[in-house]
Amino acid sequence: MFRFIVRRLIGAAVIMLIISAVTFFLFYAIPRDPARAFCGKICSPTNLELIRHNLGMDDPLFVQYWHWLTGIFTGRDLVQFGACAAPCLGYSFATQEPVFAAILDRFPVTVSVTIGAAVVILSFGIITGMIAAWQQGKPLDKIASTSSVIGASLQIYFVGPLVVFFVVDSMGLLPRPSYIPFTENPAGWFVHLLIPWVVLSIIFTANYTRMTRSVMVEQLAEDYVRTARAKGMSGRTVFLRFAWRGAMIPIVTIFGVDLATLLGGTIITEQTFTLHGIGELAVRAVQNTDLPMLLGVTLVGAFAIVILNIVVDLLYAVIDPRVRLG
Amino acid sequence: MTVSRRRATAAAAILTAGALALAGCAKGGGGGPAATGSSGGAATPTKPLENKAVSSITVGTAADSTGPATPVPGAKPGGTVNMIDRDDFSHLDPARVYLNYNATASSLFTRQLTGYRRGADGIKLVGDLATDTGTTTDGGKTWTFTLKDGLKWQDGTPITSADIKYSVERLYAPFITEGPTYLQQWLVKGDYRKAYEGPYNGKSLDAVETPDDKTVVFHLQDPHPDLNFTLAMTGYGAVPKAQDTKEKYDKKPFSSGPYQIVSHVTDKSLDLERNPNWDPKTDPIRNAYPEKWHMEFGVQAQNSTERFLADSGADKTAMTFHNAVAAERVQEVLGNAEAMKRSIQGLTPFTTFYNLNTKRLTDVKVRQAITKAWPAKQLQLISGGEVNTGKIATTVMSPTVLGYEPFDLYGVLAKPNGDPEAAKALLKEAGQPNPTVVYAYNQTPTQEKITVAIKDALTKAGFNVVAKPLNPATFYDAIGPVDNKYDIYWGGWAADWPTGSTAIQPLFDGRLIADNASNYSHLNVPEINDAIDAANKITDAAEAGKAWAAVDKKIMEQAAIVPEYYQTYFGLYGSGLGGVEFDPIQGEQSPLNVYVK
Repeated sequence: MFRFIVRRLIGAAVIMLIISAVTFFLFYAIPRDPARAFCGKICSPTNLELIRHNLGMDDPLFVQYWHWLTGIFTGRDLVQFGACAAPCLGYSFATQEPVFAAILDRFPVTVSVTIGAAVVILSFGIITGMIAAWQQGKPLDKIASTSSVIGASLQIYFVGPLVVFFVVDSMGLLPRPSYIPFTENPAGWFVHLLIPWVVLSIIFTANYTRMTRSVMVEQLAEDYVRTARAKGMSGRTVFLRFAWRGAMIPIVTIFGVDLATLLGGTIITEQTFTLHGIGELAVRAVQNTDLPMLLGVTLVGAFAIVILNIVVDLLYAVIDPRVRLG
Repeated sequence: MTVSRRRATAAAAILTAGALALAGCAKGGGGGPAATGSSGGAATPTKPLENKAVSSITVGTAADSTGPATPVPGAKPGGTVNMIDRDDFSHLDPARVYLNYNATASSLFTRQLTGYRRGADGIKLVGDLATDTGTTTDGGKTWTFTLKDGLKWQDGTPITSADIKYSVERLYAPFITEGPTYLQQWLVKGDYRKAYEGPYNGKSLDAVETPDDKTVVFHLQDPHPDLNFTLAMTGYGAVPKAQDTKEKYDKKPFSSGPYQIVSHVTDKSLDLERNPNWDPKTDPIRNAYPEKWHMEFGVQAQNSTERFLADSGADKTAMTFHNAVAAERVQEVLGNAEAMKRSIQGLTPFTTFYNLNTKRLTDVKVRQAITKAWPAKQLQLISGGEVNTGKIATTVMSPTVLGYEPFDLYGVLAKPNGDPEAAKALLKEAGQPNPTVVYAYNQTPTQEKITVAIKDALTKAGFNVVAKPLNPATFYDAIGPVDNKYDIYWGGWAADWPTGSTAIQPLFDGRLIADNASNYSHLNVPEINDAIDAANKITDAAEAGKAWAAVDKKIMEQAAIVPEYYQTYFGLYGSGLGGVEFDPIQGEQSPLNVYVK
């Protein structure tokens, strides 16, 4: 197990290095000069040259990448922004704040949205999927299946403003969505994020309902399930201890990927509800051609995917004792 | 619970707009106005554009420069105003402020030597920190300003002439690159970056003298009669040496104005509270009624429009500086009498136009033919109409510039969809009945539609139009070189202060032509260059205004551009606020006279 984890972590570091290098060099393939963003309306060539020097852009690309990479461990000092302590991912071209600090500041928002939505998604998605499988072909199955198709067809930017309009503006049942730190006010944190959780989960829950139903139906037709039934086990035991356990692996796999994607930034949800998370940072970084921030949020997304993949691999061994981590 | 018809209509609008918002949140610039939704149509504004006073801007006296500001009838002090907007302020260090949005926020805590006072008699340039708008005895080469009594920083220390000198000196520091560069260049010989490195290594700038604690003298290399207008830019705001944190100053500047920064969380919020050391008797510009300001960022125009229309809870005391009514909701707002009472409309200083590359289109008759054939009204309809895009322009200078004179040399307003017959006649006179012109444009959905309209109109007049789509990210890089291969391309400009010198000279002085310089039409006519020089020497602002209007006519006779719009602003605010006004100098909502009802 220990060797497995160490080996996967080293692999993760290599993947992150490759992703950062590809992002860095691809950015400079765009024929646009980021230095112009720092130059006033009447931008003289001397000023532009000075800015490029201030930003370290007068060095060759490989040197610039090396400086960025070493800055993570040693910190940097840029004329345009001042000193940046390690771990330094540089300064945002758009907001002039340290990228690492900006990501750390935004991360709790994205984590809060993700965790809350994940709980709703898993609870409702799996339960309704199991009910549909249990009641296969019956009215409850049809209701669950039809609802999931409708849910999967909806979009956050469509449902979000509508829910806010009715629940917040018209009825005043809930406050306008925003982020209040859990540590400051747990109740406020919950109430202010309830609408984003519910709206985000409508779309994802539908997918999990359909997937759970599908794999459960598949599992229920497996030989080992039939054998269990033949041995006289109760329907509930067969369903929950045998079929469900077999269905967990694909669900955990997809959930790991979805969770990582959400942690990398719930872009549309954050934009719709004006939540200042990683997703909003990512959108702004693209809009502003903000290389340091773009690199930072890309690495966060990559890190989440790589780490959660490792966690999913570990969970395989827990769910299915036949899987051995070598 | 029942849902009223109005609510149902609003909900339907939200559904449509919500879908459009994420699909179309790209901003314009470089190639045309912002992409708009399906509102279309040149809606008739139900309120007059609030720009009347601007073209009658005057230079105030010492009496006009004394505080307090002209009171707003019915206003009362106290309360908290919420400000919601799309973006955080990219810069707050005055030396790095150029954008109007940053300048509007800075007006709450940064003061300059001069500023603009609004009153019933129009807009006046007045002394802000200075007792008046400055004096010059040699045609604008040497300027003297005297500081008012009782001026203090937020910590209670007095604001002195040494602070002003220091504020100018730090403009030369290597990390100050984003703000205006006029004063820096005017004070030294040659390239200002090489002439002086800033105060951080102990060196001083001799061109700024401080004979005593109250007096500041600027020795310019050449006469600049409108330096007092230049110094009203936030970029020349005061910074105290003792509080200068260099690069970090940008996040939390030290206040000389009515409010001080309590907290600034980048991209999220900015909170201001009353600066107890600000004395309204020294300030003729700011009423500063609210006790506090809470500013929230990341609110897209679609979202802010919905919130202003809902007008509930804390949003009742909310305003925005910059967010306009979302394009998709303009028609709905125009038809909502209650919301219109809480709307702001006006002309911004921003003008847009199509450059006619005079290096390639060398025959003035051909350029005039393009102007004659131009489908101005059709383009305005495609862009979203007058209310949320702009008024059709016929001059270089906008009505927001001192001395602006309306004229329409090519009869655009009489024939707003173009006059192909008149254009044909001009082409015949030029001996080129079917010239080929290359039109370069930003490849966006709106610009694609505009290009079809332009191509159609010019083709009717006899032109062969070759349309060249450009990448919006590199539009200016493509049109920047003097030897670019395009004949017609979009441009936009806002005067840095409301006189012709900054509205006209950077765009049409032939001696400034260079790669990536702002004279994109590459116009170089000695008579116009001389007229620019002559206008720049006139010390009387009103007389200078007349001279600039004459230069405007000369440029339009040369048809170096096809004017497009005098940009308009259309915004909303909450019902719990009063005194919300349009600021024609910055082109957005002003915070200076706002009060909580």
